[in-house]
Amino acid sequence: MAYVATRGGERAIEQAERLFRAEMGTITPERINEIKAAMPYLVDRVMGEASLYDEDIAALALAQTGGELYEAVLVLRAWRTTQPRLSVADPIEQDALFTHRRLSAAFKDIPGGQLLGPTLDYSHRLLATQVLTGEAFDPVPVEPAATPAPAHQPSVSAWQAANDLVDLPKGDATRPDDIPDITREPLLFPSKRAHTLQSLARGETGGVLALGYAAMRGYGQAHPTVNELRLAEAEIVVTHPKGTKFSAGRVKVSQAEVLSKKDEKLELGFAATLGWNEVKVIAAATLDLNSAGAPKGSATEEEFFLYHTEGVESSGFCIHFKLPHYVTFQSSLDAMRDAKARSAQQKEPAQ
Amino acid sequence: MHTPSQEFSHDDALSILARADAAALKALGEDLAIDFSDVEVVHSRTGLVMLPLRDTAKGTAFHLGEVLVSEAHIRRGIHEGYGLRKGLDLEASMAMALVDIALASGTKVEICHDFLRDADAQHRDADTETLRRIEATRVDMETF
Repeated sequence: MAYVATRGGERAIEQAERLFRAEMGTITPERINEIKAAMPYLVDRVMGEASLYDEDIAALALAQTGGELYEAVLVLRAWRTTQPRLSVADPIEQDALFTHRRLSAAFKDIPGGQLLGPTLDYSHRLLATQVLTGEAFDPVPVEPAATPAPAHQPSVSAWQAANDLVDLPKGDATRPDDIPDITREPLLFPSKRAHTLQSLARGETGGVLALGYAAMRGYGQAHPTVNELRLAEAEIVVTHPKGTKFSAGRVKVSQAEVLSKKDEKLELGFAATLGWNEVKVIAAATLDLNSAGAPKGSATEEEFFLYHTEGVESSGFCIHFKLPHYVTFQSSLDAMRDAKARSAQQKEPAQ
Repeated sequence: MHTPSQEFSHDDALSILARADAAALKALGEDLAIDFSDVEVVHSRTGLVMLPLRDTAKGTAFHLGEVLVSEAHIRRGIHEGYGLRKGLDLEASMAMALVDIALASGTKVEICHDFLRDADAQHRDADTETLRRIEATRVDMETF
């Protein structure tokens, strides 16, 4: 074992950090508020991958890292460890979600109907270049309906179960405090379902999409159809010291069910995350749908996709390669030179 | 012991306070603090609440992630006050705990009820307005 010391490194490291931060300039509370207001979906993505819900802290992480998402998630995951866990809330149930967007690509006449909610799905993607020449882009306001949508929507899969299309799962009686938790236990394989879904919930969006897309394109066994997609707000139900349960407020969540035909029934895959990030949950639910019986080493095998979609680990491993590897690389060079010398000796004609 | 309010159940009162405007809640808390200057502060801290969600495919409850919260727990005699709200705002959670202990001990109940009534109405109006905007995006799919 050998080490390489970097002389003068302390000053260089400090100046390098200053150089990085100089581009971002002064970070003020106004900037944090502007990031929250202008980029809610980016804030949501970072909160989901950090597995920590707080818009202010997430916006601060984005401001401090200049929008370098891996750094933002890393700093949030690190900060999270400074906070004690006070309690575990009651599990969120689908039919208790305050629903903003809810649709099914499998059935058009789902109970409760289809609500597009906030989306660009059916819009032209045009860049408002007039802003660059000094003309503000002022979005046309929503024209609210006369009557409100129902706050809560029934489950599509419950309706399908009533029509004998899916088997409804049995209730999970695990106490909230006893739910397996990958922040406190190692991820082992075959993975507990609670670990799989928690890992996907905090998975890196691009990684989850890449592997989910591979499954969709044919490298998986099942082609997904979105059974139900929801963007919603969930109540955080906690317990008062006297035992009263109450809502400590709402957080944004996304969830997706995808399905494919299996024998005479439909089979469901599921995923959810903190914040609104529908690409991630559709891709993650596709991985869940495809994972049973997936070949070892394939994109849809749970060990493969869970290890490779953990953003802090994967980005950390990737960037570690730029750190000094002089000793190990020198060792490889020595071995290469030795081999070359031996080869040259063998080629010399016999005396 | 908690004395149930006639107008608001304990859980309704707590849920309204947890969602109430922070500045207005702190103003009410300052008013109540005069009557509760001798409370024992059990906790005033920030921390995390883990949020599980039930999967609809297999029924498994799993952890979605943690929510940053501020918590206050106070006590005076047999009465307890508790506040837990999203975000880093210890003053707001303490104000919530003060309203809770005021209701439990029958102190300035009318003022607290006025606050709860106003906040509840604001929340309902905001939800209705949000849901009217959502309803405007309802689509009826037809197969041709």
